[in-house]
Order: sequence, then structure tokens, then C-alpha cells
Amino acid sequence: MKRPGTYSGILSGGISGRTGPHLLPLARIKKIMKKSNDDVKMITGEAPIVFSKACELFIEEITKRAWNITLQGKRRTLCKEDVASAVITTDIFDFLVNLVSDSAKSEESQLTTKA
Amino acid sequence: MVEEQDKLLPIANIGRIMKRILPRNAKISKEAKETVQECVSEFISFVTSEASDKCHKENRKTVNGDDICWALSTLGFDNFSDIMLRYLQKFREFERQKAEQNKASSSEERGEVTSNGFGLQPVASASLEFGILEKGGSSSAKQK
Repeated sequence: MKRPGTYSGILSGGISGRTGPHLLPLARIKKIMKKSNDDVKMITGEAPIVFSKACELFIEEITKRAWNITLQGKRRTLCKEDVASAVITTDIFDFLVNLVSDSAKSEESQLTTKA
Repeated sequence: MVEEQDKLLPIANIGRIMKRILPRNAKISKEAKETVQECVSEFISFVTSEASDKCHKENRKTVNGDDICWALSTLGFDNFSDIMLRYLQKFREFERQKAEQNKASSSEERGEVTSNGFGLQPVASASLEFGILEKGGSSSAKQK
């Protein structure tokens, strides 16, 4: 009896967001990895799985730090600016500084054009 | 539009992970989730580039889990790297055990070789619990 390819199902990202034991779709992770660099041509099956866990840790870390800033402002809603501040104040998130300041700048320019 | 979404992980999944570590009454704005969504993609690209450069220098064509762990460590994500190495070990052990079980259970059944050539067996509903690692890493993976 041939078993359905559960693992290949997980690799393909699954339908309607089913991702097996992983919280993030492996196929999407693989796509992002391939787009990052032209040299990236082959990736082992375990690499997206490693990233799935690493991304969870990353999201948790950035969320924790952002939430601290939310609390300092005596608020209960974590907002975009809190995420930006968390990025700016954390050394290892230096690579994200341009990303968060770009989105802040585009918002600023939207406000000035409205005026 | 569709191409844009391909570069990002689903916002629902990201939101779930964020909510998991916050107090129950905490709220997260949509824009905050979108920002984190973009940051995660950048994180993946950043780490993958580093791992890929290493492979290139060592004349290897395939980026593997160890390369990712090495890149994480090099880029300052030391604590992630430690957790990831243990996770990777457990995963490989789990896959090896699965492969041995499958071989033993049926001599006719051929191992399913996925496109990556890793020879990974289909993983049943048994989840590789992150809890195993967080408890300090027991020597054998427990299956539920």
C-alpha cells in the first residue's frame, strides 16, 4: 500500500495553510531563500525546516522587545512604531534598520502630501 | 500583487506566533504584523545569503541545515544557533529512526526519495515536539 507523501505535502506548503508540525509554510520559506541570492540553487530538505524554527525564534524576539516598548508607553496595542524602535535599539537587527525606516519615511511623505 | 505575496510569509501564521508570547489582553495592530512580516523575509534572505556565500567559498552547491546554523551564529544570532543545532540533531535522529523503522516494517516498500535527495521518509502526524529541546534535550526523541 503506497503511503501518501505526507512530507512532500508539508514541503509544498499544504492547502489552506496546513503545514504539518511546522508553524510556517516550508515551500514559501524555500521560495524566499531562493530569491535572496542568485547563487542559491540547491537547498537540502532540512534547510526550510531549520528556518521555520529560526523564524519563530526571530518573531518571538522582535515581538518581546517591541512589547516592552509598548508597555513603556503604557499602551496595550503593539504598533508598527514599537517594532521599528525594537529594531533600532537591537544590534543584531541592524540589517532591518533601512526596512523599518523606509516604511516610516513613506508614511511621512504620505502625510505631507495630504497637507 | 501575487508576486509580492510570494516574498512574504502568511500574516496569519506570523500573527499567531506573535500572540503566543504576549499576554492575553494584548493587541497587535495590522501594520505591526505587516512590518514583522517584512522583517522575517529580510531575515531569511540575510541569513541565506551568508550561508550561500560560505557554500560558494567551499565549492559546495547545496545549502544545508548546518550552513544555516553557522550563518545564524556568524550574524550574531548565537542563542538561536544553539537551539537550532540541537533541533537539527533531533530532526536528523528522528528521520533516521523513521527510515530504519520503515525498512524493518516492509522490505518491499522503497524509501521515498524526495527531490532534495535526502531520502527523507514521510513524517506521520507524530510531531517533532519543540518541547523535547526546551527540556534540555533528552537522548531519544519521543513520539506521541
